[in-house]
Amino acid sequence: MAEKLEAVLYQVTEEVLEKLAFIFSFPEEERDRMDYSAAVAASVSFVGPFGGVLIIVISNEALPELAGNMLGIDEETTREQQHDALKEMINVVCGNLLPLISGKKSVFNVDAPQIIDHGVDEFCQNICGRDDETVSPAGMARLALDDGQCDILLFVEGQLPDDE
Amino acid sequence: MSINVLIVDDSGVMRAMILKSLRMSGLPLGETHQAANGQEGLETLNKHWVDLVIADINMPVMNGEEMIGNMKKSPEMRDIPIVVISTEGSITRLEQLQQKGAAFVHKPFTPEKIRDTIKNIMGLGGE
Repeated sequence: MAEKLEAVLYQVTEEVLEKLAFIFSFPEEERDRMDYSAAVAASVSFVGPFGGVLIIVISNEALPELAGNMLGIDEETTREQQHDALKEMINVVCGNLLPLISGKKSVFNVDAPQIIDHGVDEFCQNICGRDDETVSPAGMARLALDDGQCDILLFVEGQLPDDE
Repeated sequence: MSINVLIVDDSGVMRAMILKSLRMSGLPLGETHQAANGQEGLETLNKHWVDLVIADINMPVMNGEEMIGNMKKSPEMRDIPIVVISTEGSITRLEQLQQKGAAFVHKPFTPEKIRDTIKNIMGLGGE
C-alpha cells in the first residue's frame, strides 16, 4: 500500500505543479529529505473515511516562480501572494489526491490550508503527538524543480481503504 | 452582449487565475467583481447586476454550497448561472451541486474548459 500511495502522491503533485503553476518536476525518490530550514511549508487537514494532514514544503528560491506563474505576472510577487499560492497549491493537490486513494464516492471535509510558520519538524511531531522519535509520514514524494526542491508529506489517522 | 461576472473564492491567487483565464477565453466580459466568501458574494449580488457567478465550495464564513442555496431562495438571484470551480472530487457532492443547477469545473483547470463550461451553461453557442 505504501508504494501505491507514494506513486499516487508523485503523480498528483507533478500534474498539479505543471497544470497550475507551469512548473515541471522530476521524482527524486533516492534523495534525502530537503533542508526544511531553507524552505516554506503549508498544510491542509481533512476528515472523511480517514483523516490526516497533507504538507507541501518548497525551497525558498522556488516560491517566487510558483506564485508568479500562477498569477501570470512577471513582476515581483509579495510574500502574501507567495503564501496564498502555496496554500492553493496544497489545496488542489489534496483535492485531487483523496478521491484517488479513497474512491470518488467518498466525501471529505477539507479545512482551509495554513502556512506552517514554525518548524516543519515540530509541526509533524505535533500531528503525531510524539516528540521522542522520528516521525514518519504514511507517504512522501520528493521532487526536483528547476529552482530548488519540493517535498509532499501525507500523514494519516486511521486505516487507509486498502488496509481494511 | 457583455457578461458581468462575480468570482467568489477565498484565495486571491485563484481569483486572479480565474480572471486571467476569463480574459484569455475570448468571452465578452463586462464588469468583474470579486468576493472572498459566500457572504461577501451575496452582498455583491445585492449591489450589482451580475450575469454569471463563478464560485469555490470550501470557503470560510459562508461556503459555496450555502451561498448557492441562498441564491436559489431569492427570486432576483435564482436564475443566475453558476459555475463551481473547486478541487472537490466527491461524486456525491458534485451531484448535489448539479441538482442545484450549477456546472462544475475541476481544479486544476484550463482556460478552454472554463470557456466551454460558461458557453454551455449560458447557452452561448457560436461566436
